[in-house]
Amino acid sequence: MAQSTLALGVEAVGCAAFDAGIKGAFGYPGTPSTEGFEYVEAMIHAEPEDRLAQWAANEKVAYDLALGVSYAGHRALVTMKHVGLNVAMDAYANSALTGVRGGLVLLVADDPGMHSSQNEQDSRRLAKFAWLPVLEPSTVQECYDFTWRAFELSETLQVPVMVRLVTRLAHCRALMIRREVLAPTGLGLAPKETIQDWVLIPSNARRRYLDLLAKQPRMVEALSSMNRLVAGSGRRGVAVAGMGRAYFQQLALEHPELNAMPRLEVAAYPMDPGLEPAFLAQVDEVFVFEEDYPVLEERLTFQRAGKIHGRLDGSLPRTGELTPRLLKNALGLVTTEGQAASSLDLPIRAPRFCDGCGHVDAYEALQEALRNLGLADARVFGDIGCYTLAAQEPMTAIHAVVEMGASISMAVGAAMAGQTPSVAVIGDSTFGHSGLPALLTAADSGVNVTILILDNRVVGMTGQQPSQALDQVERMVLGMGISEAQLQVLTPLPKQHEANVKALESALGHPGPSVVVFRRECIQSLRRGVLKDHDRELRACVEQVGCTPEVRP
Amino acid sequence: MSAPRIHGIVLSGVGGQGVLSLAQIVLEALRRSGLHALQSEIHGMSQRGGSVHAQVCFSDVPLTSPIIDEGCADLLIALEPLEALRYVAMLRMNGQLVVSEEPQADMEGYPPLDDVYAALKRVRGCHLVDTEALARRLNHRQAGGMALLGLASTFLPVSEGVWHEVISQRFEAKGARVLEKNLEAFQAGRGLVHDPVGV
Ligand code: SF4
Repeated sequence: MAQSTLALGVEAVGCAAFDAGIKGAFGYPGTPSTEGFEYVEAMIHAEPEDRLAQWAANEKVAYDLALGVSYAGHRALVTMKHVGLNVAMDAYANSALTGVRGGLVLLVADDPGMHSSQNEQDSRRLAKFAWLPVLEPSTVQECYDFTWRAFELSETLQVPVMVRLVTRLAHCRALMIRREVLAPTGLGLAPKETIQDWVLIPSNARRRYLDLLAKQPRMVEALSSMNRLVAGSGRRGVAVAGMGRAYFQQLALEHPELNAMPRLEVAAYPMDPGLEPAFLAQVDEVFVFEEDYPVLEERLTFQRAGKIHGRLDGSLPRTGELTPRLLKNALGLVTTEGQAASSLDLPIRAPRFCDGCGHVDAYEALQEALRNLGLADARVFGDIGCYTLAAQEPMTAIHAVVEMGASISMAVGAAMAGQTPSVAVIGDSTFGHSGLPALLTAADSGVNVTILILDNRVVGMTGQQPSQALDQVERMVLGMGISEAQLQVLTPLPKQHEANVKALESALGHPGPSVVVFRRECIQSLRRGVLKDHDRELRACVEQVGCTPEVRP
Repeated sequence: MSAPRIHGIVLSGVGGQGVLSLAQIVLEALRRSGLHALQSEIHGMSQRGGSVHAQVCFSDVPLTSPIIDEGCADLLIALEPLEALRYVAMLRMNGQLVVSEEPQADMEGYPPLDDVYAALKRVRGCHLVDTEALARRLNHRQAGGMALLGLASTFLPVSEGVWHEVISQRFEAKGARVLEKNLEAFQAGRGLVHDPVGV
């Protein structure tokens, strides 16, 4: 009998990947994609024979790991959030040319409305950019079913396939009905005669690019059953995709008259170029409901100007999440009058540092050291993690946050432009993610930058996954070319405040690059005992074989 | 054919109070009662004391939208009074609000408590629960959430037996004592009188 269980949308993708027989799952944490990896990781850890789940140092590494598994002939899943795909873009776009051997599925979770992201880019655009198929589920069950389908498509078309979710679906919990689990099977290594396909030197790449373009009609054909035109009456139609499809479908339950509208339902791209003209021929006016960028809407607008209602003509807000209310308003449906909103002024309850978090102590020491040196106005380049919270009032201890790893390179750039001393603040896992090459350049540049690495030993913000840089930070710093004299390791605790301020003053005073590591475990991970086993093993290792704490057991 | 009735529940509170875990209990209980149910949650930085809220929709037909429109929720369960006020406009005219009196006021600009209570008392169907007194009486510091759920459960089409099943499953792993304490809190909430604003 088919098993059924409640799952989040992202979890359904992870579960389907397991059931479809993946050999490996890889990813880098990022809301709202994290639980997708964690779900499949837990399944794999429960039955580890033959399978592997591994967080990677960053999304590009994760993607390449998955591509390697595919090359070896097995199915692989790789998960990330939308901005993570920017990091993995080099791998993703070029794997379109190499193609795949074992099925390769990429789960990307977009975050329209920016609930916990720095932008709301739409991954459907990146799939188009790479000339690759993308499936867009609208329910938890579709997350599961589409992921199976994505593996099959990936192997049929021999390209990676993206499954694109948005926050609302990623974090929607509903019933998921599973299929029979497939054991991981292998197709065997990419055959000898295809080796040149994987070697993207220009002569091969030109050929492979033509191959990729030649695959486009096959993609359209393979996906055609996922998009459909539903005939109706009247000359007002709707084009729906993703959550727009889900919201419209439910609205039509409450307002059965909506079922009569001609509909274009889209769940996969690239879509049949004949579909839109056929749809437009049936209607004079179109409402487009899709989540995030106006992808479908733009395509329809190119086909025929006028009476295409969506984000571009102002019928829907240009940015932010779609909601059922927005659909109702656009369609001119009567909305229910509910209770009055409270007239009381409701201040925002902003997220803040946990009580006792070491980041606070580190920032307090930094701010005091800067004041003591007469640099109270110094600009500090921040990065992405819990420590980003310091950008908020009243602390305002960091003055730029752009993307993973930007802190170090921006501080070096600013120092080169004469803004010295220049300060960067980065977390341990962000440092491992993309701070390393930046530090290599910082050390090489010799400019006056002070880099604070706030080492809480885990990826705090996304739920305390173990950091890839765990116990390795000092060696990494030295390995990038920072001298031992310019590396200090401090403990961010109130009782260490004075000493920490002094140490920072000396680092800031040094005319070249210097690094200060503030190490204290995240309170939440301590509370949950995330690193308990790790630390026990580490202690045993130190006692028995005398290996230094710097070396992993 | 008349349109099916779609029901909505909003749960709100502060990160760390267990809003999402309550939502999951509600979802599972509805599902076991043969209903089609969906839950939506917004978390991300929830561990760090921000506002957290979840929604549960259910019906006897399959649903696809995890979001409830304003003015369409039948029930709002709030673990914190200010976090209740944020979502009052989600309630139907004849919706019910089950809310804890206990403020989490460690934030900038928390309004005077009397104003908060006064605003809550203007909400129709408001059940203000003194969770602090209840927790003291039951000698169980975290009884509040379960007690609110107990009271809220009386508004939902789920039998007492199903609630017990789901709660048991949820707390089983934490030992018999924890489970017993939670069931006790749930029952205490269930026993509270339906007396809007008098509880
Ligand atoms: S989760 Fe950890 S790192 Fe983040 S604020 Fe809390 S204690 Fe600090």
